[in-house]
Amino acid sequence: MGTNTTIAAARRQRTPSRDRAKPYYRWYVPYVFLIPGLVLYLLWTVYPLFYQLYISFFDWKIIPGQESTFVGFANYQTAFADKTFWLAMSNTVTYAIITVIGQMIAGFAVAVLVNRVLVGRRFFRTVYYLPVVTSWVVVSFLFIYLFSPGNSGLINYILTQIGVIKEPISWMANSSTAWVAIYSLGIWKGLGWSMVIFLAALQGIPAELYEAAAIDGTNEWQRLLHITMPLIRRTILFVFVALMIGGFQVFLSVLLITGGGPLHRTEVALTYMFDRSFGQLKFGYGAALSYILAVVIVVVSVTQTRLFGRRGQDVEY
Amino acid sequence: MKTKLVLSVIVLLFIVVPATLAQDVVTIKFWHTYNEVSPENQTLTDTLIPMFEAAHPNIKVESVPYPYDGFRQALLTAAAGGEGADVVRLDIIWSPEFAAQGILMNLSEKMSDFQQYADAVFPGPLSTNAYDGAYYGLPLDTNTRVLVYNPAVMPEPPKTIDELAAMCADLPEGSFLFSDGGTYGWAILPWIWSFGGDVTDPEIAMATGYVNGEKTVAAVQFIADMVKDGCFSDGFIGSGLDTWGGYFGGTIYSMLEGPWFYPTQESQYPDFKVGAALMPAGEGGPVSVVGGENIVVSASSAHPDEAMEFVRFTQSEEYQLEMSKVGQLTVLSSLLKNEYFVNHPYYGIFLEQLQTAKARTPHPAYTQIETVLGDAAQLVLRGEMSAQEAMDAAAEEIDALLAGS
Amino acid sequence: MLDTTRSQQRLFNVVIFLVLCLGVIVAVAPLMYMVSTAFKGASFVQEYPPRFIPETLTLENFQTAFSSRNFGRAFLNSALVAIATSVMVTALASTMAYAFARFEFRGKRILYAGLLTMLMIPGVVLLIPQFILAKNLGLMNSLPGLVLVYSAGPLAFDTFLLRGFFESLPSELEESAIIDGASPFTVFWRVLMPLAAPAISTVAIFSFLGAWDEYVMALNFLTDETLRTLPIAIANFRGQHSTNWGLVFAGSLTAVVPTVLLFVFFQRYFIQGITTGAVRG
Repeated sequence: MGTNTTIAAARRQRTPSRDRAKPYYRWYVPYVFLIPGLVLYLLWTVYPLFYQLYISFFDWKIIPGQESTFVGFANYQTAFADKTFWLAMSNTVTYAIITVIGQMIAGFAVAVLVNRVLVGRRFFRTVYYLPVVTSWVVVSFLFIYLFSPGNSGLINYILTQIGVIKEPISWMANSSTAWVAIYSLGIWKGLGWSMVIFLAALQGIPAELYEAAAIDGTNEWQRLLHITMPLIRRTILFVFVALMIGGFQVFLSVLLITGGGPLHRTEVALTYMFDRSFGQLKFGYGAALSYILAVVIVVVSVTQTRLFGRRGQDVEY
Repeated sequence: MKTKLVLSVIVLLFIVVPATLAQDVVTIKFWHTYNEVSPENQTLTDTLIPMFEAAHPNIKVESVPYPYDGFRQALLTAAAGGEGADVVRLDIIWSPEFAAQGILMNLSEKMSDFQQYADAVFPGPLSTNAYDGAYYGLPLDTNTRVLVYNPAVMPEPPKTIDELAAMCADLPEGSFLFSDGGTYGWAILPWIWSFGGDVTDPEIAMATGYVNGEKTVAAVQFIADMVKDGCFSDGFIGSGLDTWGGYFGGTIYSMLEGPWFYPTQESQYPDFKVGAALMPAGEGGPVSVVGGENIVVSASSAHPDEAMEFVRFTQSEEYQLEMSKVGQLTVLSSLLKNEYFVNHPYYGIFLEQLQTAKARTPHPAYTQIETVLGDAAQLVLRGEMSAQEAMDAAAEEIDALLAGS
Repeated sequence: MLDTTRSQQRLFNVVIFLVLCLGVIVAVAPLMYMVSTAFKGASFVQEYPPRFIPETLTLENFQTAFSSRNFGRAFLNSALVAIATSVMVTALASTMAYAFARFEFRGKRILYAGLLTMLMIPGVVLLIPQFILAKNLGLMNSLPGLVLVYSAGPLAFDTFLLRGFFESLPSELEESAIIDGASPFTVFWRVLMPLAAPAISTVAIFSFLGAWDEYVMALNFLTDETLRTLPIAIANFRGQHSTNWGLVFAGSLTAVVPTVLLFVFFQRYFIQGITTGAVRG
């Protein structure tokens, strides 16, 4: 140990400005750290991704003994002509947009309030985040129950009591009302996440800035718009992109609440893919669908980042 | 040295002997959809399986319950994974499809005493196991739907569909004369058949002229009108209305139910008075739908002999009788002479209904046919398409399915 | 002038507090309703008017749930799988993140870019090939197989998160350890990991939660009843003919309570963890 110290110290003395040129680790060390995770990752994420592409060119059969026939681009052609698939895609996009905007606005509003409140900040932060950690399975069942048809459903009861609706609604009978349940679930469950991130960003803004602005005669609203928002621009973008990616992947809530029905009207991309693959055993087709979805998500995310991230550097203060 | 030898022999014995003994015990998996907390599941696990295991000490039966919702899918993916059940309680409508996919064992071929068991059961249920000239299972239980009504609000059940329709006039606000959960086959076929319509021709080759025939269209139109008038509940269009809850709450006057209804009613609402009658008759008569399950063996089972032993057990009078006590009506023709059935409080009406009940289309593509029919009926019930138009479109699609595309 | 501002301020603060409380009710009410339903008997589940506080509390749902043969085992299975996943993800993500954060090596940029691209691909999209792969590798119907599947999913994001966190940590401590002759492994294990505790806890807890309530894969991968995980057991409480919500929610509560407890006790750590990764990331 002592020898090493001396040698290292001597080395540094000799080449003070170049001591970073000779790394302190052998060449293989980074790879040792990298390989275990990388292997699992390659095996379970990258390989399936390419395997998926391969499958999508076949009429893939998974029951042993059955033969899969090569069909070329037929699956993709069918997909582009498949009206239900396009409905599912547009449902997915709508879901993403509505729930992302909802989560961001609600999350931001709550973050601003929690940042300002004098008492119970940690309590509020915890409680608003609680829905985020609950399981999708459990809350989907919960929302089915809340949106039960007839008078005994809690939502129907509340809405009729306060006079918003006259008759109890059968939420699941029509896609438009079913979406209300699904969107509310998405926003309710997610707003805590964006709130927490916005809150942290807000707390990073020094108070002096606000004080200076207050002295200059601005009101709260102006301070919000002109100081707060620009400063947390990068955070807003991050939340936006992350939520969009999540929104496109909506699956379990729709699967459990409506199953894509009635009449496939509440299908989203993933539930439709799931139904074709595991329900109808058309795995090749399902693979093609999921590939198309993946491409769409990547394109959307990249576009978002380019479009909104251009001026994405946080304003320096 | 000698002690070491003796010691190692003893240790070896402790390892080898249990191992060889253990090898003789085979575990077979029995997949079913009995709800975890239902009387039938309790009978299975507390009475029947121990009975079987006592008689067959080298076979252990593992009961695996599944939610009905994902059962078909789970069966298919398990078959794909090669890790499935040995014995399955399979809905009769899936037998042709699964047989066609090569998932089921050909029992008429592999089971040496098959004919003896085939002769003991009702021919109707047995026929649901047939595919391509062979039998891929044996019937396990049968059932049908009868009109279960609430005598407190409906003193006399309607005998005909016209009588039923007439009752709508006096219906109070917020109540429904009849309710069901959707337009799938199980719900809509009794009406179609009672009106005198059908899905396909008797040879199961063509749907045009049948599913879009005059009588079928009239049946669908009738339900649509009833739902629109508020006489039938909107459960038909998938509102998720809890039919049993409404029935016991007094807001739903009648529904079509199977024999499993009674044990649950007895345990949860023992004081509730229940009435049962035949399906209201139309031009075609009081026709209901035959349901039930078959007991099948997986083609890829690692223990086919043990599995078949269990199948034989399910065909025994003990098994069939015990299950009949919890709402699983027997398929053994001899058992009907048993005193249990002679004066049974509720099986009487089911047996009567079974005489005119029809089976759903025994075709491998049935699940898809049912979806086409159900979706078409949905469109009509929602007022989005006229009944004739919707059924014409359905006929075209079903023709294609029957042709095997 | 100053006085009015001060009392205005006070009013403003009170209003903010009240609004937040109202929001809390909205956020928590559904969960509270679930709790109260779990204690309702079967005939009260669809009563009118619906009550938040049940007229008669009953434990029968919990009794039924726990006496159902496989519920306890499902709980155990879920716990095992979730813990194993958590350990595996934490170990693999942190080692990979360390490699990207503190080392230079050939191919570093490409590999990292590759990792990032995968972030945008939804996991469920890979369900089919993963299913076929698991079948071919003989991992079907086994809990270890499930752990592998669960571990691979969050890997990209967690590596990204941890890398950002590691890079934000000052390297002095590590450097002095290196000068003292510590091997990279020692530096990683004894210096960096303790420093990164907040982010590590985040990763550990979130991967635990992800595995704890995963449903789709578990339903299709596990055919053995004894291997079932908790979400499937809960789904099984929905009947073929009708659903006893009290029972479903009693089961659900059992699944949710550990989650909530974990969260409440460790929230300080992992909120810090997410936000640092996100705000700096």
